[in-house]
Amino acid sequence: MKYVKGLKCRECAREYPVEPIYVCEFCFGPLEAVYDYPKIKRALSRKVIEKRPKTLWRYKELLPIDGEPQVGLDSGFTPLVKADNLAKFLGVKELYIKDDTVNHPTLSFKDRVVAVALTKAKEFGFDTAACASTGNLAHAVSAHGAKAGFNRFIFIPSTLEQSKILASIVYEPNLVAVDGNYDDVNRLCSEIANKYRWAFVNINIRPFYAEGSKTIGFEIVEQLGWETPDSIVVPCASGSLLTKVWKALKEFKEIGIIKEMDTKIYGAQATGCSPISAAYKQGTDVVRPVKPNTIAKSLAIGNPADGYYALQAVKESGGAMEDVSDEEIIDAIKILAKKEGIFAETAGGVTLATYIKLLKEGKIDKKDCTVLCITGNGLKTAEVLDGKTAEVYHIKPNLSSFEEALKTINEKKGR
Amino acid sequence: MSEVKKLRVRLTFPQELIKEPVLFRMAKKYDVMPNIRRARVTDTFGEMILELEGLEKNLTEGINSLRQQGVVVELIEGDIIE
Repeated sequence: MKYVKGLKCRECAREYPVEPIYVCEFCFGPLEAVYDYPKIKRALSRKVIEKRPKTLWRYKELLPIDGEPQVGLDSGFTPLVKADNLAKFLGVKELYIKDDTVNHPTLSFKDRVVAVALTKAKEFGFDTAACASTGNLAHAVSAHGAKAGFNRFIFIPSTLEQSKILASIVYEPNLVAVDGNYDDVNRLCSEIANKYRWAFVNINIRPFYAEGSKTIGFEIVEQLGWETPDSIVVPCASGSLLTKVWKALKEFKEIGIIKEMDTKIYGAQATGCSPISAAYKQGTDVVRPVKPNTIAKSLAIGNPADGYYALQAVKESGGAMEDVSDEEIIDAIKILAKKEGIFAETAGGVTLATYIKLLKEGKIDKKDCTVLCITGNGLKTAEVLDGKTAEVYHIKPNLSSFEEALKTINEKKGR
Repeated sequence: MSEVKKLRVRLTFPQELIKEPVLFRMAKKYDVMPNIRRARVTDTFGEMILELEGLEKNLTEGINSLRQQGVVVELIEGDIIE
């Protein structure tokens, strides 16, 4: 059954039918999916959701598809880990990790958005899926597209490291390396998206693609026993994830799944690419584009499409934005691994480091129930830890050599 | 041979250029047709969402001249590479 009424311009509110379009013809504002909430309210309840398989599709009425889910049937519903060790370490009362490092099948939150985008692409009748990406999005489109039988075009800058290429090329998409800087690749992809009838997931399918991010918000509420946390910390690249987590909470309230909602949303960026955080700190609505320079490559979007809307969501919720250095990111990755046994990519380091900074600044209360959105797996950005991890003890294959090493280990621990 | 193209862009003007007819001069010099859809101007910044139409070569040169003057020129889609 259909629960989407159409698309609507976020700037001038002009309405459009459900089509693979992404921008208002009049004011060039971005389009967003609009739902029939009274109808969803009649169809969806906690009981209905709880009976369904534990995937992101258990909230399908609140996702912009017309028929049944077709792609990413095992994606989502990742663990909400109660981070007691980390909470104790930081001196906070209640802390959770929304752990998308184990999302199926490509170990990042992009599995959510691509599952929705490619289901919609199937409904539109596309046979080719495309994206431009340096990492997580490329992996997700390559993998989900393979399973769903799409012809795939993945565009990457030709300077991309081999390790990043491998996790896409193994699924055998058409991987196209473009000579030129990021601006050149962006402009080319915009031209291609406007010329070819392909499902370019984050261009002409963007209004549908972006909605997949809401499932992180839905899951957090359900996994907290249908309660909302006091605060959620979300990493920001384009800003879309943050706006959609906020939208998810508001939708759950709108359809009566939750009665109260008093959650503050906090945005996390790397200082080397912090256009949204900078705008927040300057007290302006204008998100000025920057040239990224950070190890957090998955967040390195200098001209964020949803920056303005992320800023509005943060302000509306009463939250804040903050940014952290590359050094703080590395430290946070290591703390999360050591305390909670979770190996996050650099974006996860950004989220935790930002949370620590916000605690120190008193912007998040230590008594708050807080959820940190950890959006990707550390194995994807392992190179940033080169030379920064604990040492390995090399020994000879005999007991005395081992015992010598053991002595060193125990001395280090001060025993 | 250069062909006619349309490009949808967001221009961000620094404070010192707000009172200057930067866009008109560029349009005239490079024979580029601007079609403005949205604009916001305050004391400290100017922002304009528009379509530029012209020969590809002229568009490239026109955009480069805006950038050289300090105007930030970005696609309205934002950064596409994610």
